Parts: sequence; C-alpha cells; structure tokens
Amino acid sequence: MQALALSAAAVEAVGERSGEPDWMRERRREAWRLYEALPLPDPASEAWRRTDISGLRLEELRVPLNGAGPEHEKPEAAPPQVLAAALGAAEDRAGLLVQRDGQTMQAGLEEEAAAQGVLFLDLDQAASKAPELVRQHFLSLIRPDELKLRALHAALRRGGTFLYVPPGVEVTRPLVSVSWVDTPGTLLAPHTLLVAGEGSRVTLVDLFASAGMDAQTVVSGAVELVVGDGAQVRYVAFQDWGTNVWEFGLIRARLGRDATLASLVAGFGGSLVKTDVESKLQGRGAQSEMLGLYFASDRQHYDYHTLQEHLAAHTSSDLLYKGAVKDRGRTVFAGLIRVHPGAQKTNAFQSNRNLLLNAGAKSDSIPKLEIMANDLRCTHGSATSRLNDEHLFYLMSRGLRRQQAVQMVVDGFFAEVLDRIPLEQLRQRVQEEIAGKIAESSQG
Amino acid sequence: MAAQSPLGIDLDHYKWGFREPERYVFKARPGLDAEVVEQISYMKGEPEWMRAFRLHAYEHWTRRPLPTWGPDLSTINFDEIYYYLQPVEKQSRTWEDLPAEIKRTYDRLGIPEAERKFLAGVGAQYESQVVYHNLKEEWEKLGVIFLDTDTAVQKYPDLVREYFGTVVPPEDNKFAALNSAVWSGGSFIYVPEGVRVDIPLQAYFRINAERMGQFERTLIICEPGSYVHYVEGCTAPIYTTDSLHSAVVEIIVKEGARCRYTTIQNWSPNVYNLVTKRAVAYRDATMEWVDGNIGSKVTAKYPSVYMLEPGAKAEILSVAYAGRGQHQDPGGKVIHAAPYTQSSVVSKSIAKDGGRAGYRGLVKVYSGAKGSRCAVRCDALILDEHSRSDTYPYMEIDEEDVQITHEATVSKVSDEQLFYLMARGIKADEAMGMIVRGFIEPITKELPLEYAVELNRLIVLEMEGSVG
Repeated sequence: MQALALSAAAVEAVGERSGEPDWMRERRREAWRLYEALPLPDPASEAWRRTDISGLRLEELRVPLNGAGPEHEKPEAAPPQVLAAALGAAEDRAGLLVQRDGQTMQAGLEEEAAAQGVLFLDLDQAASKAPELVRQHFLSLIRPDELKLRALHAALRRGGTFLYVPPGVEVTRPLVSVSWVDTPGTLLAPHTLLVAGEGSRVTLVDLFASAGMDAQTVVSGAVELVVGDGAQVRYVAFQDWGTNVWEFGLIRARLGRDATLASLVAGFGGSLVKTDVESKLQGRGAQSEMLGLYFASDRQHYDYHTLQEHLAAHTSSDLLYKGAVKDRGRTVFAGLIRVHPGAQKTNAFQSNRNLLLNAGAKSDSIPKLEIMANDLRCTHGSATSRLNDEHLFYLMSRGLRRQQAVQMVVDGFFAEVLDRIPLEQLRQRVQEEIAGKIAESSQG
Repeated sequence: MAAQSPLGIDLDHYKWGFREPERYVFKARPGLDAEVVEQISYMKGEPEWMRAFRLHAYEHWTRRPLPTWGPDLSTINFDEIYYYLQPVEKQSRTWEDLPAEIKRTYDRLGIPEAERKFLAGVGAQYESQVVYHNLKEEWEKLGVIFLDTDTAVQKYPDLVREYFGTVVPPEDNKFAALNSAVWSGGSFIYVPEGVRVDIPLQAYFRINAERMGQFERTLIICEPGSYVHYVEGCTAPIYTTDSLHSAVVEIIVKEGARCRYTTIQNWSPNVYNLVTKRAVAYRDATMEWVDGNIGSKVTAKYPSVYMLEPGAKAEILSVAYAGRGQHQDPGGKVIHAAPYTQSSVVSKSIAKDGGRAGYRGLVKVYSGAKGSRCAVRCDALILDEHSRSDTYPYMEIDEEDVQITHEATVSKVSDEQLFYLMARGIKADEAMGMIVRGFIEPITKELPLEYAVELNRLIVLEMEGSVG
C-alpha cells in the first residue's frame, strides 16, 4: 500500500483519489495552510492542561492511499472479526456503511428509506450525488481554524459518512456507520455529516473500532449534526479503538426550532481520547439530551469537554456523563453550560458521576456554568466516589464472587445511562464491554 | 435609613466614599522599581532578610505575567499606582492620640464604638500603615500577640521569620509577588497553646489617597488547641481612578486548633481587590473562611486550606454580591493532602444591574488521602436579564477512597415564592428582601450577630427597587 507523510502532497493525493469537486479541494488546501500556520495546543491552556500530548508524533504518521481513482468504486471483502464485533451493536438496521481506513467497503440502505429520498453514503460520493447539500452543510458547524488538529482533519479527511433525511421523513430503524482503522501508524480523519430536514426523524449509530496497534495511530474526527426545525435525531458515537490509538474528536450539533437531539458518547478503547461534544440550541424550544458513558482502564486517558450552549429562549438541555476508572486510568470531564443573553426560560441540567475502582485511578471533574440570562433554571452536580464496600459485602455475603459483585455494582452505576437508550442491541454491546473491562486483569 | 455601622458596611449607597485630605510624612513616587522597594524597606528600618525577601519578590513580579484566566486585569496601570504612603509618624495606642482626620474617618466608620462593644482587640490601617492598635489586657496576659506586621517584624523577628512566606511564597502568583515586594501593615496574630480568644479580634483597612495601593500582609499562628476568630473590614473613598488592594494572608493552624477568618469586604467600586489567602491545617485542626464580598470593582480571591495531616477540616463560606460595573470572582480551594480530611464549601452569589458574580474553586484530593470527604454547594441568584453568573468548580481526584460531591443551581427568585409572601400582605420589595435573606442564610447564621444584621440590612437595601 502506498502511503505519504502528512504533507501538501498527501493533501493533493487524498483529494485526487476522492474524486471531489474543486471547491472541496480548495478547502483542503486552505486547511493545510492553517495546519502549517497553527501551533499545537498550548499545554498550559484550560482545554489541554489535563491531557498531555507531548507524546504525539505527527511527523511519523502516514496517510494511506489505496489504489487510484475514487475509492468508493472499489468495494472489498466482508469485514473481519473486529468489525463483526462492532456490528453486534446494531444488527437490526435500515442501512449500513462500512469504511476501512477511510475507504468504503460496504454500503446499503433499505429501499423504503431510499424511496423517500434518504441519502446514506460515503461523503465523497455524496459530494457528487448531492453537491448542493454537501456544499451547504459540510464544515458549516466546524471551522478548520479552531485548532491545529481540526485543520489537519479538514485537510486530510478521507471518506466519511453523509446522512440526509428529507423534511417530514421518518426512518424508524437505526442507520449504522462503521469506521475501522486497519493500518498502524496512520492518520485517519473521518467526518460524519448528518442533515435532518424539518420534522424528520432518524437514528444514526457511528461505530469506531480497530485492533490493537503496534505504532501510534491517530484519529482526528469531526461530526456535524444539523438538526432542522422540529426534527428528532438520535446520535450514538461508540468508540472501541485498540491500544496505541489516539483520538481527537469533535461532535458539534446545531438545533433548530423545537428540534430534539439525543446523543450518546460511549468510550472504551484507545490509549488517549479527547472528545469535545457540543450542542448549540439555536431555535426556540430546542431540546438536547447528552449522555456519556466511559470506562478507562489500564493506562487509558479519556478527556471529555462538553458544551450546552443555549442561544434561544425556551430551550432545554440535560446532560449525564458517567465514567468508571480502573487500574491507572484517568478521566477528565469538563462541562460548560452557557446561557446567552435573551435565552430566557432555559432549563439546563448537567451531571457528572465518576466511579473509581481502585487506588491509582484518577478522575477530574469540572462542571462549569456561565449564565447571562435570569429567568431560568440551571443545575449541575458532580460526584466522585469509590465502590461501596457495603454493597459489595452484601452481594458477596449472598455467595457472589468478588468479580461478580463488582460487575453488578458497576452495571448498576451505568444503568442510569443505559436505561435512557432505546437501542437494545447497543445496550447489550455496552454491557459486554463493561464486563470485559472488569474481567481484565490489572496491568497498571 | 442611615444607621451607623460598626462595621463600615454601606447602608445606603456607598456611604464610606468620603475622603479626607491626604497628609503624610512620606509618600513613595508612583510606579514600582527596585529602588522604591529598597526605599520602603529602608523607611521601615527592616532587618536584612526582609529587604532581601522583598527584592527577590520584586524580581519575580517583573518576570511573572498577569494571569490569563479570571477577571480582566489588563486595565490595571502598575506605573500609576503609589505603592507606599506613610500617613503619620507613629502608631497610636489610644484613640485620642490619632491625628484628627484619621480619627474622624474611623469615627465615621464606627470603629471606637465597635471596639467598646464586642472586640477583644482592634487594629486600623490607613493607607499603608497601621495607625491604631489595641488588644485587651486580659488576652495580652495570656500571651496572645496582636500587632501590626511591621511592628511584629521588629519585636518578634524570629517568630515572624519562621513562618513568613512559608504558606504563600512570593512565587505563588503575580499578586503575591507584588505584595511580598511592597507589603506594609496587616495583622500579626499569635495565639499560644491552649488559649481560646473567645471574642473576635478585628482589623480595619482604609484606602484614602487616590491611586493608592494597599498591600497588607497578615500572618496568624494558632498553636495547638488554641482558638481565634479574626474579622476584617475594608472601605475606600470613590475616586475617578482605580486603586489596587492586594493582600496576602497566611495562617498556620496547628494540631487541634481552630481559626476562623471573617472578611466583610466593602471597597468602593473603583478598587481592584486581588488577594491571596491561604491556610495550612495540621492534625485535627479546623480552618474556616467566611468571606463576604459586597464592594470593589473586581474581586479575585480564592481562600484556600491545605489539609496536611489526618483529621484536618476546612470550611469555606462565601457570599458575593455584584451590582452595576462589578465583577465578583470569589471562590475557594480545599486541598486534601492527608487521610480522613473533611471539607465543605458553600457559596452564594447574587448578580444585579449588569453585575457579574460567581464561584471559582478547586477540590484537590491527593493519592493516599483516603477517607477524604468534600461537599461543595454553589447557588446563584440572577435578579435581572443584564446580569451574569459563572460557576467554575474544578475537582481533581487522585484517590479512590473518597466522597466528593458538587452541586450548583442558578435561578431567579421564583414567582410562586413572591406571590406567597405578597398574598400575605407583604410588599414586593420586602418579599424580595426576605427571599434573598433566606438565600444567604446559611452564611449569615455563621456570622456574629452584629455582622449578620449588617449583612442582611445591606443586602435588603441593595435589593430595593428590584421588583417591578
């Protein structure tokens, strides 16, 4: 396989193979110039001081280039085992898109949805099939100049997921997208663009996975969720990277009038994962539910920054992020509720709960509020605690082994989040991950 | 309603905005350089180690950038501030000996009355120098020392040197460095083992001159099993230019001792109030900060407690009120560095007329501090749509065996509560006042009665006209 270092040449080569229109290529070049101009994040800055990226080796990364010409024309064999495991989370689906190293291997959408005008395909392909929609919405919520790593994403994006649901259309079963990294030492920059038309309904499950890597592998992802007036969207990002994968992601949503978004971010894999999750409530009456569920073990480092941005009156947001930490894992949660002037009658809730499973585990929690309106209700809470000895004792006195007892207590801890996800297979998949984490012997 | 306030708390508008003509025996030129620092040390006739300490701190100050977080401090012009001003030639021991205008000032603030009524001792600082000091004889006999820090350096050099700068080193932050370089006045309190000073000691700080900096330095040492409650109040006249108040407070609470430090800050709305307050608490010791921030243009103050040995306890109670043009950024830090330490933080903030109030705090639990518990509660009331509330609580937990909780709410005064009270014949203004008093009650109930009454009256008066 051909591969290039991060460079202007790689930007051209990736663009060439994507078959994208000129305006997209031009934006890649612009982004590359920004990437070269911008410094790495200041380790002393508020957003980065809890996540040490001094071990990041951007200069050693390669961009894989599979063959020539538009990649989506080269579907390959069935997904291997790691993929099958990821897919277990959503067997019952209305559509499936599978990409390996940013190259589409499998794509499909049920006829009923396709007939109603739903588009669910590779972003490169979408750029030629639905140029207007892509042009209007691609990188409309996320700007490459926000951060060096965002610029890198915009310059070297490969593949990606595009989902469009026309106004009034309802897709009842979830659509599933799988992004799978196969080549160690590479950069993957997946992009998800979801556009939900007025009054539409859809569920998108984004699965990210890889096997363990023998060299640092970097994922710089971006998710844009454009939720139109009155639309109801459920979005799941389920991350199960192998070791040595570092991820820097941003999930940003814009909600129109009376729109509803329910998001879940689940994190189990990777070595270092820093994900920003943001909801901008721009239309009156918009509602955002933001759920997070993560389990750091071994030496995993997870850093979640969330933003509930209330820009209009009568908006509500409800955030619940729960994390367990084991071995020498470390988690950071920094959440901000920002209520802008005029966003009266806002209801905003934010809750972070952390469970430390052993000595050596660390957890930082920073629930912040910036409130510039007065007629509202805003509450946040944070709690960090250990396994409750009495609970364990109670269970073990009834004949359970310690590991089983711990499993039950942790399941109970996460149940508050899981109970709010109406996707049965996904819930089972999450529970398997949790069980696997608890069974892992400590390597710390 | 213009009641005489024993605390100097503003009961109408900023009543203590009056000024007396400046009279001084020595005033340093504006701006700061090593020469001014040397001059201050020379004027005070200090020992060599203190001179070296100041110069070292000055050197660090020049290199240290302004903090990039928190309130905007970029408008402070360090070159225009007067760093030292000595208003009278020597400290008075009796009230009658004070120069007329200083006496008049404190009479208007009600200090002598307060002293007669309920204080064990009182110190008053006017500009940079402590002008009046008194400690009741009974406490003196028990070995309690309550002096201004300059005098303490002369009279108890070894004691001061042992502790000075150990809790807040000059390198701690830019304003601690500034204070360390140019400090003047402040209180030095030493409470011997087992002595309980059961009525409060008070200090009163007053800025009178324009563009004046006030940099008092307070050091409190509580020997094992002792108890002291120290109360400070602050005012300044209103000038068109800004003044700077940058104090450092260091407290050492030894085994089983308890120290309570109460501040009722009511600087005029042109004072930058940037203060570093920190205490260390040893085995089974208790440190309590009660911090009321009503005045000033900008306040950035995060009283902290380092719990260094098992069983240490920390309590921080904070009330902030921000009106027009004010940015109150108070908070607190609790550092759990030993097992079985406990802390609690309660913050209540009120923003009105475009003011900005909030809470910024840190809970740090070091690995090994097992059995630590901490509860933080922050509540904010925003009284109109132009005002703003911020909550920035940081929790860094490196230990598994802990219980840490944080809760915060931001809300307006509920219509139901107002309606309920008004339905019982209470006027809107009064009802609003009652609700706000209820809101800050967890703090006021911890204050000595006189102070609680003052704070309540002040809040109620600030509330006037807020319903409508």
